[in-house]
Amino acid sequence: MRWLKSVAWPSLTLAMLPLPAILCSPQNGSFVHQKRYAMGTVFEIVIYDEDLPRADAAARAALDEVVRLDDMMSNYKPESDLSRMNRTAHFQPVRIPRELYEVIEESLFYSRHSDGQFDISVGPLVDLWKAALAGGPSPTAADQASALRCVGYQKIELTPPDGIQFHSDCMRLDLGAIGKGYAVDRTAEVLNASGIHRAYIDAGGSTIYALGAPPGGNAWRVRLRDPSGKLGPEVMLSNNSVSTSEQSAPSSLQGDAPGHIVVPGTGKPLQTRYAISVTAPSATASDALSTTLLLLGPTKGAALVKTLHNVSAVWIDSDGQRTIVGDGVSFFLTGENHPIHVSPLKSRIAATSKAANELLP
Amino acid sequence: MRHISFLCMLFLGSIAAGTPATAKVFFRVAASPLPPADQTGIRDLVLLWPLRDLSVAAELHSQGYRVFLQCESKDLAAAVVSADRAAVTGVIVTNIAPSGQSPAAEQLRPYLAAHKSLTFRMLVQGGKQPQMKGHLVVERDGVLQVSSPSSQPWLDTNFALVRLAQATDPHSLPIIYDFHWDMSGALPAAWHPDADAYAVAIAEADAIRSDVTIDLPGSLQRALVAGDPRAWTLWKAIMPYLEFSSHAATERIVPVVNLGVIVDDVRGSYEAINLMARHNLAFESVRPASLTLARLASWNSVVVFCPLNKEAVALLRDFAASGGIVIFVNTHDEFPWHAAPPLRRESRTTVYTIGAGQVVELAEPVVDPENFARDLRRLIGRERSALALWNSLTTLVTGYREQSRPDVTLYLVNYANQPDTVQVQVKGRFTGVRLESPEERCCVSVPFVERGGFTEFTIPALRITARVHLESARESSAAP
Repeated sequence: MRWLKSVAWPSLTLAMLPLPAILCSPQNGSFVHQKRYAMGTVFEIVIYDEDLPRADAAARAALDEVVRLDDMMSNYKPESDLSRMNRTAHFQPVRIPRELYEVIEESLFYSRHSDGQFDISVGPLVDLWKAALAGGPSPTAADQASALRCVGYQKIELTPPDGIQFHSDCMRLDLGAIGKGYAVDRTAEVLNASGIHRAYIDAGGSTIYALGAPPGGNAWRVRLRDPSGKLGPEVMLSNNSVSTSEQSAPSSLQGDAPGHIVVPGTGKPLQTRYAISVTAPSATASDALSTTLLLLGPTKGAALVKTLHNVSAVWIDSDGQRTIVGDGVSFFLTGENHPIHVSPLKSRIAATSKAANELLP
Repeated sequence: MRHISFLCMLFLGSIAAGTPATAKVFFRVAASPLPPADQTGIRDLVLLWPLRDLSVAAELHSQGYRVFLQCESKDLAAAVVSADRAAVTGVIVTNIAPSGQSPAAEQLRPYLAAHKSLTFRMLVQGGKQPQMKGHLVVERDGVLQVSSPSSQPWLDTNFALVRLAQATDPHSLPIIYDFHWDMSGALPAAWHPDADAYAVAIAEADAIRSDVTIDLPGSLQRALVAGDPRAWTLWKAIMPYLEFSSHAATERIVPVVNLGVIVDDVRGSYEAINLMARHNLAFESVRPASLTLARLASWNSVVVFCPLNKEAVALLRDFAASGGIVIFVNTHDEFPWHAAPPLRRESRTTVYTIGAGQVVELAEPVVDPENFARDLRRLIGRERSALALWNSLTTLVTGYREQSRPDVTLYLVNYANQPDTVQVQVKGRFTGVRLESPEERCCVSVPFVERGGFTEFTIPALRITARVHLESARESSAAP
């Protein structure tokens, strides 16, 4: 274990930046910081705890859980449960692990509430454009039509408690838009079960969950993606999550290049100037919603957010145009003269992804 | 300021480098006892000058070590005299002052001539502990996280540092690089760094084919001498990597590359080259004066970070006309191909078609090195890449070929903390693929397929390091 020695001493690090009054105040606690490569990115955990050996062990156990889920849900690993399901679930029911069933079930929730904009069956299309993204030729119209035929969440049939069947001969699921969020929620559960109450869980920067708050503060501060560099958006997290999505930037050498986010309806890469950050009670929800709301755009996306509880979203484009909506956690725009925020109307907390339906009125 | 100093040293290194690398691992130790070399597996030690007691060097020498003194250039005269007297093998020189009058190697030449029994190396400073990192920013009393679209792992590597230092000058000294351990994650009661950290550092030097100096913490040195079982447990976990590294061939070799990087002033190009290394672009860097037809023959793509004279521009025009890709960074120069309309013109980028190839001109420096390296890899494309890894974001690969032989050896280093499945694609046809690693001694045959002029195979569980030998029948052709 390369990161065995994982206690960082705060005195070694940088100064705090100016913060709004509600942000955490300096303390002298020390913390555990561990990281692990999984799901194509780096998962990191920071834990404040008086019992550092316990925190160290808890972080290790939590990251072990992430690796276990990666082994189950990876579409890069031929022996993963997801890959096995993708090979065998066409026109016949197969049994899958409980966690995989849960995350597919929750995916279908977001598919239904986004009119199919969020769709985990988009895998064949993503793979098609991935080759072009890597420098290959763009897929032909025939290729796109062929892949599009395989897409459609309505062709996924779940049978409780653990059955799944594809009503398509070429369907293949890809959990890239929700899997990291699910893993973050499971990580939080492991930490909670270990008695850890001040932790920060980060999946490659795109999905973050904050457990409790750092010593002396009431929330963890997260600076959000801002393509304009003008707004300085931030959010304070405590027992909730934020996720960020953005289409890949065009090539600096070749001009237009297909992005990695594909619109399920058209089969083509999404064209958007926005980056979006979404807060939600669970990381599964924020992860899935960030992709969904990026695909929907601010107009249709805002309408969806207004139907959900404890969810906030901010779209920012490269000119600094922004749309903020939701009744969840406040956003601070620190780059403006007068920081503004969206006030939460309700304070229901749904700690895990199991609570997707709690997002509904 | 410190960054500029590092870049100056790096540039000096690039002037002074060029001698074939040996990829030896030196351990910098305190001037105090150490168990004998046959117990530690260490061959080369570095002691910092000045030494209070020269007998320490003699004692270590008698225990089987080759001892080097590390001194600043201002102390070189005194250090070499002592070295001559104390059974010292050589001298590592650091902080050579930039001089407009004479290159660094020229400053050292009198000492080389007067002390022929000693070997000399120039230290390239500014290295980093090789490791995988995330993106979390840990501040004084809290954590600041910047959310973003999902990020790939960040690898702190020394590839770019050494590649730049290895550029050009055939009349120079061998280089050796160093780094200091990142102690921010050290538990007070635990050994730090751990065995895997040493292993990655050793493996990286092997892959770069450069000598490296690694610090041996004083506490560990004392514990080894005292026979502390915990210290020896740690050290015995490191020794297989030392042994594995030292078995690497040291004959003169040439890197397997398809991309040339022409660079004069590293200040404007270092981060871009750093990211090119991280994206496994198979490149070598040269200074403009070293750009020749022979050099171009081993490349299919070129990135130019500096102004060129007319002769060099003509060489690159012909290179593009025959199908090559040339990218000029931060250029506003007039070129002969401007007489024809560009294929495409955007705010920052202009693309010209020349014969079977193309020239891309960027009107500004590289502002986003990560995107630049990624875009460069796309532009070059898989079919032009001499080496490629798939789905291996924590692994770097280098390839080398003995001169006049088509066989290729790949060196792989995995910076993550768990085994990685690595899919490899190498340009060329080979008759056999054999794998060796600290866990799998030479050699295990690896199944491979040939597809479109490429050889493809998978390493199922690369832990930290491995070498892959691609053998070619004498009548076969092996690219690049």
